[in-house]
Amino acid sequence: MAIDVRRLTKVFESGRRGARRTVEAVCDLSFAVERGERVAYIGPNGAGKSTSIKILTGILHPTQGEATVLGVVPWTDRRRLAARIGTLFGQRSLLWFELTPRQSYRMLAAIYGLDRQREQARVADLADLLDAGDLFDQPVRSLSLGQRMRCELAACMLHEPEVLFLDEPTIGLDLLAKQRFRELLVRLNVERGTTIFLTSHDVADIEHVALRAIVINHGSVIYDDEVAAMRRALLSTKLVEVGLSAPTALPPIVGVSVLEHSDAAVKLVVDTTATSIRHVLDDLLERLPVADISVVDPPLEQVIAAIYARPKL
Amino acid sequence: MRGLLATFRNALAEVRANRASFLSQVVVMGVNDVVWVLFWVLFFRRVGSVRGWDGESIRLLLAVITCAAGISLGLLANARRVGNMAVDGQLDGVLALPVPPLAHLLLRRVEAVNVGDLAFGFVMFAWAGSPTIQRTLVFIAVVLAAATVMTGFLVLTGSLAFFAGRNEGGELGFHAMLLLGSYPVDIFAGAAKVLLYTAVPAAFVSTVPARLVENFDVGNAFLLVAVAAIFAVAAWAAFTLGLRRYTSGSVWTRP
Amino acid sequence: MTRRRWPQVTAGTAALRVVAERGSLAVTLGFYVIVVAVLAGLWRVAVGANGGDIAGYSVVAITWYVVCTEATTVSLNTRLIADLGRDIGSGAIAVELLRPAPVLGVRLAAELGRVLPRLAACGVVGALLAGLTAGAPPRPAALALAVPSLVLAVACNIVAQHAFAGVAFWIRDTGSAWFLYQKLVFILGGMLIPLEALPGWLERVASVLPFRAMSYAPARLAAGNLEPVLLVEQVAWLAVLLWGAGAVFRAGERRLQVLGG
Repeated sequence: MAIDVRRLTKVFESGRRGARRTVEAVCDLSFAVERGERVAYIGPNGAGKSTSIKILTGILHPTQGEATVLGVVPWTDRRRLAARIGTLFGQRSLLWFELTPRQSYRMLAAIYGLDRQREQARVADLADLLDAGDLFDQPVRSLSLGQRMRCELAACMLHEPEVLFLDEPTIGLDLLAKQRFRELLVRLNVERGTTIFLTSHDVADIEHVALRAIVINHGSVIYDDEVAAMRRALLSTKLVEVGLSAPTALPPIVGVSVLEHSDAAVKLVVDTTATSIRHVLDDLLERLPVADISVVDPPLEQVIAAIYARPKL
Repeated sequence: MRGLLATFRNALAEVRANRASFLSQVVVMGVNDVVWVLFWVLFFRRVGSVRGWDGESIRLLLAVITCAAGISLGLLANARRVGNMAVDGQLDGVLALPVPPLAHLLLRRVEAVNVGDLAFGFVMFAWAGSPTIQRTLVFIAVVLAAATVMTGFLVLTGSLAFFAGRNEGGELGFHAMLLLGSYPVDIFAGAAKVLLYTAVPAAFVSTVPARLVENFDVGNAFLLVAVAAIFAVAAWAAFTLGLRRYTSGSVWTRP
Repeated sequence: MTRRRWPQVTAGTAALRVVAERGSLAVTLGFYVIVVAVLAGLWRVAVGANGGDIAGYSVVAITWYVVCTEATTVSLNTRLIADLGRDIGSGAIAVELLRPAPVLGVRLAAELGRVLPRLAACGVVGALLAGLTAGAPPRPAALALAVPSLVLAVACNIVAQHAFAGVAFWIRDTGSAWFLYQKLVFILGGMLIPLEALPGWLERVASVLPFRAMSYAPARLAAGNLEPVLLVEQVAWLAVLLWGAGAVFRAGERRLQVLGG
């Protein structure tokens, strides 16, 4: 087993005497991940994602509960584990800003105990895999964010980790860069067997990278299933917002439920397994005084709210 | 070990990459140090000698402390930042690597401007310390010990931030150490003097080392090394224990 | 908020914030106590070893002297010039030009508001320290004059720093300027050494510079020298410095308007 979490709890305390505040960031968290899996660990802000990852990588000590990664307890055997896992935090860099990536790789290779030969072979290998060879000799500060993230990925893969933890790695990247990054992660998993554990805010990360999604909210797991199943169940809704030019009553439409209805606007949820967007739009345009119309994917919070509302597995 | 050396090499490379504002900062540091010397010159011109310290012995004291500061604040620049890093959650990067955290942290950053202090201190010693081979060797040895005491003290007070949630102890400790170490401890008496030999070991950062260069004696040398070892161990222990309470970058934990 | 009340409101708000940040005030006071202990300790030993008198200062007098000079120094915001320089250099100050109250005035009022609570805290603590370790002030009447003198001293210092930082309207990097400025005040302002203890030619140079108004004046009074003319001097320097800072800022604002910030 790659990751085994059992009833993990982390409570943060803050404030002075008399005004103590406690926050339960992670509460009774349990799940297990096998080697070679690609898991997306998602949840809204404050759900406890970053905290869980920090516990699993040995940065934080939990308040209660147990966990092992590759059979090692992260917070007691941190250094031994660190040599076998890779971490990529979107908001913290592995690379030194003023130096070139290659200089950082040299240092990391020394830290991870790779000899010169192996280091050079790995760097060349990664340059190929990530198509980043021309980037390695420019100072990091002169790289764009997308280029930098590719170099960061190389940095965390240098020592051929068995598990890769990524915390919001695509934050700030443009669409194209995000796509490329996701493809790289899949390749790493397929070609090298690296277990991928990715936390994200972005539903697209689930769709394109993960085979399994664990949804966490308020510090515990509320959904844990294959992405395929999730896609069937939930990514089959769309939100339609209609701006009205005059207050109107809404007739019932198949596959459509009303979220909000005011004089100026209507918010609808469309179940695309029961009907098609095309039909719904045709209906709306025919029957309502439409001033404005937009069709969007439901926000993650809503997907999760929907998951939350379902009966527990 | 290889990893630590490589880290330090990169820290130096980072300094070299940042040459732009370096010169003006070095000038400023130079002026700062010169004014300090000027103060003592003017002081002793008027006063003659104070409790066995005169212009010459003060210059030796200054040489010791600027060299020690050059090492502790220049080469091991993160020593004074431990408290801030603990509170701001900046230790994640260190903890994600298979390295001994304190050692890596200390070697990870070199502050060029303070390295200038190291150079100034050596020049000072060469000018005013009547350097012989023997005195020079003693000087280097006591500077290393003094730097260990200073670094240990800074890390120790900085580590208090893990437990307190804020870095006031670290800030105060830093200022206190630098200030108190810049004066011969003999101007104090009683309880204050005891304090400077124990809790805030300013005596071992300048006075005792300087005295050893003047008149080497085994007893005091042993004491200096012992104090350095004690503070090094205490600092390591405080930091390691503090890491258990480290709360990373979580917004909720700001008190 | 009427046009006439903005100085009080600005200063008052700034003062409240300083008082609320108890932690940072504690660090300031801790630092103050250490600095006074060290410097006063040094001078007391020196005076004692020199027959109880150096340049007319007894042990008691020199203690009260140091307590005052350090109060004026420690209560100041050490980042003022760097922050000002940065705000001017980045053009952030251009936004303040849109307000109805004058830019310099608002900044001065805010800074004074920040400094006065710290000065008061240091003053009280300092008086206690001096009283306990050295004894009563040599001339209570002079000490009474030292109180307004302390306020004038920090006011002069703040205004001078603003004038100094105003150079940022023309030159980019002012960070180093502050260091040099502070060192000037240390020596020529009588902070580290009483001006009377300086060699004659240096003392004469210091007597025509504004730095004596920022540190030396209140300290001299507290040390027991009833010399009200010092207050007059301070007011005069304050006026000169205000005019200078005003001129620099006006010229700077004109430059901003011409260049577009």
